[in-house]
Amino acid sequence: MKNRVLLLLVFFLACASLFAQESITVIFPKHEADLSGAFASRVRDFEARAKIKVNLIQMGWDDVNNKLTAEMASGGSAYDVVEFDNGNVAAWLGAGWLEPLDAYMPKGYTNGMIPGFLDLFSGADGKLYGIVWNNDTRFFFYNAGMLKKAGIANPPRTWDELISQSKTLIGKGIAKYGMAGFWKAEWALANDFHFYIYTYGGKIVDKKGNFLFNKDPATVAGLQEMVKMLKEGIVDPASLTYDQEAVNNIFLKGDVAFLNQGIPGIMAYAEDPSRSKVAGQIKVGLVPGGKAGLSASLTLPEAYAIAKGSRNKAAAWKFIEFMTSKETNKKLAQQIGLLPIWTEQYTDPDLVKLYPYWAGFSKQMASARGLSVLTWYNNFVEVCIAETQKMLSGKATPQETLNNMADLLKDYAGKP
Amino acid sequence: MASRLFNPFTMDEPRRLGITLVMPSVIIVFGFLLFPFLYSLVLSLMNYDLARPQENSFLGLRNYLQLTRDKYFLNSVVVTLFFSFVSVAAEIVLGVAIALVMNQRFKGRGVLRALIIIPWALPSIVNASMWTWILNANYGALNALLSQLGILRAYKPWIAEPGWAMIMIILANVWKETPFTVILVLAALQGIPTDLREAAVVDGAGAVRRFGSIVLPMIAQIIMICALLQVIWSLLHTFELVYVVTRGGPYNSTDIIPMRIYWQTFKALRFGYGAAMAYLAAVALLVPATFYIRAAYRVTVD
Repeated sequence: MKNRVLLLLVFFLACASLFAQESITVIFPKHEADLSGAFASRVRDFEARAKIKVNLIQMGWDDVNNKLTAEMASGGSAYDVVEFDNGNVAAWLGAGWLEPLDAYMPKGYTNGMIPGFLDLFSGADGKLYGIVWNNDTRFFFYNAGMLKKAGIANPPRTWDELISQSKTLIGKGIAKYGMAGFWKAEWALANDFHFYIYTYGGKIVDKKGNFLFNKDPATVAGLQEMVKMLKEGIVDPASLTYDQEAVNNIFLKGDVAFLNQGIPGIMAYAEDPSRSKVAGQIKVGLVPGGKAGLSASLTLPEAYAIAKGSRNKAAAWKFIEFMTSKETNKKLAQQIGLLPIWTEQYTDPDLVKLYPYWAGFSKQMASARGLSVLTWYNNFVEVCIAETQKMLSGKATPQETLNNMADLLKDYAGKP
Repeated sequence: MASRLFNPFTMDEPRRLGITLVMPSVIIVFGFLLFPFLYSLVLSLMNYDLARPQENSFLGLRNYLQLTRDKYFLNSVVVTLFFSFVSVAAEIVLGVAIALVMNQRFKGRGVLRALIIIPWALPSIVNASMWTWILNANYGALNALLSQLGILRAYKPWIAEPGWAMIMIILANVWKETPFTVILVLAALQGIPTDLREAAVVDGAGAVRRFGSIVLPMIAQIIMICALLQVIWSLLHTFELVYVVTRGGPYNSTDIIPMRIYWQTFKALRFGYGAAMAYLAAVALLVPATFYIRAAYRVTVD
């Protein structure tokens, strides 16, 4: 009798395991433009197609980053697919927290992907560790309605032109300020530091981690531009209290005429009268440069990666493959204006018809550059925030700021 | 003999029961307090950098020595001392003043006593978010109020300037923490025998004299306890406020020690260096904590 019960139990367990659905846990930030839950819908599509259950965790970028840091540092296996931000590449690969994707990826899978993304998420061992899900390249937007009202025919091509146009707009009472900066004491200020320096053709560090920024005249010029715009009243003086969301809102309220480093999805907000007072007026331009013909933008891509501690690596790859496929990319592009990672989709007739301004995006993408890839990037950000704010508060000149940064970071010099 | 006493097979029943009952507490205290406490002490003596694990090594006291040369840490010590001193002084002065008013008989006193506790009862994160809105440069309540009163001509970005940012953080902290002092001092005031005051009035003592000679000496110990607790809390409870409102900026002007520990540990991923900062802060906290325990003990004995 006892043996029969035992056999029956084993039989039921065997049956249960046959029918039990494989499951994975996925964590990545909620996309700014995803107001309709488009990503969650695609995840449900994946569940239905792959028969793999997904425990989806979506929250703010900072919260995801904090959660993941603690989890990965403890060597845990709570997450299978994780958010892998471009700012964390050097640190995370240095710490060995991720699984290389090469063993799971079909041969030639990345053919046709924007090449810069592959370089950025590859390790020194030549292996690929992340596939981009969010092509977060930043663009320059301007309020064409305001410019027309002020009698300005074309958007600015240089910072000097932007200053001059802003003065006209402010003088005529059309705009409160030319633009606003996200210069609050947080991570994104280091992005703006890179951005202004790039628009002058400057460099932060070389590949060996040696400082270039305090020796390069283009770098000093980039910071001088930030100070000049603040001093001359072109930039909103409250910028030291603004984060990116606040700056977007100010632009959509029609208080300022220009938006640097706008997310691609800002157009979706701009055309929605419930969120914007500038519907029908926003256009894309090339980022102004230090001189005519010089333009640069920042690309801050976020990728999916497989956690080293994952117990479901094959299923995790299936998820990444589905979510970054051409089919899913196109659907997300159509639904929420997500920029594809596949080059061919920028000439896709359906998408070009839907987003004519992508022509402007593709021009800018040719000059897009990423953040510095350093294992000590976090330390760089800490010093960069404090010293740049000191400069913007008028307590140090741009050259002094760069010298202070070099001095405070001297222990890391020469470490990639 | 000793081994027999602690051998579970040979010890007597009451001892076994006692150990069984105490064990969960021992496990909790060891697991959640003692182990992390000791482990972080070990970390503080190491270069434990999550982003560069290949360089992890034992450093001895080098993390602590580096702290004495760390410009940002030294700045955060000064910022924390200033923040604590001004906050606690304001909380005590305001707390005693409000308690004295609320100790008088007037209509609506009961309702006011209930309302006064609300800021203190608010979760810190809610308080911080609320002050972010109040101080907003474009549509904040403070700007609107001061403009309507004719004090401000144009809206001011309060937390964009280092001096004002610190004042506003102190204001937000005082608003939240003062009710605690009010409640404690009010309780102490109600314990003062009325015949003492009446006798002073009969002797012709004025309000100031009565306060200085009767009230203040009788509530001095409670004030001392409040002040010490507020000093400890100004270090432990203000992280949320600063993190949400200013992130320690502008230019590290509100960068209190807990923010520095957070940055080094969870942003820069230097767990060893962050642990050394936390240990120094813990040692610094022992000073007011010791005084607090002695003062609280004296009150209990009295």
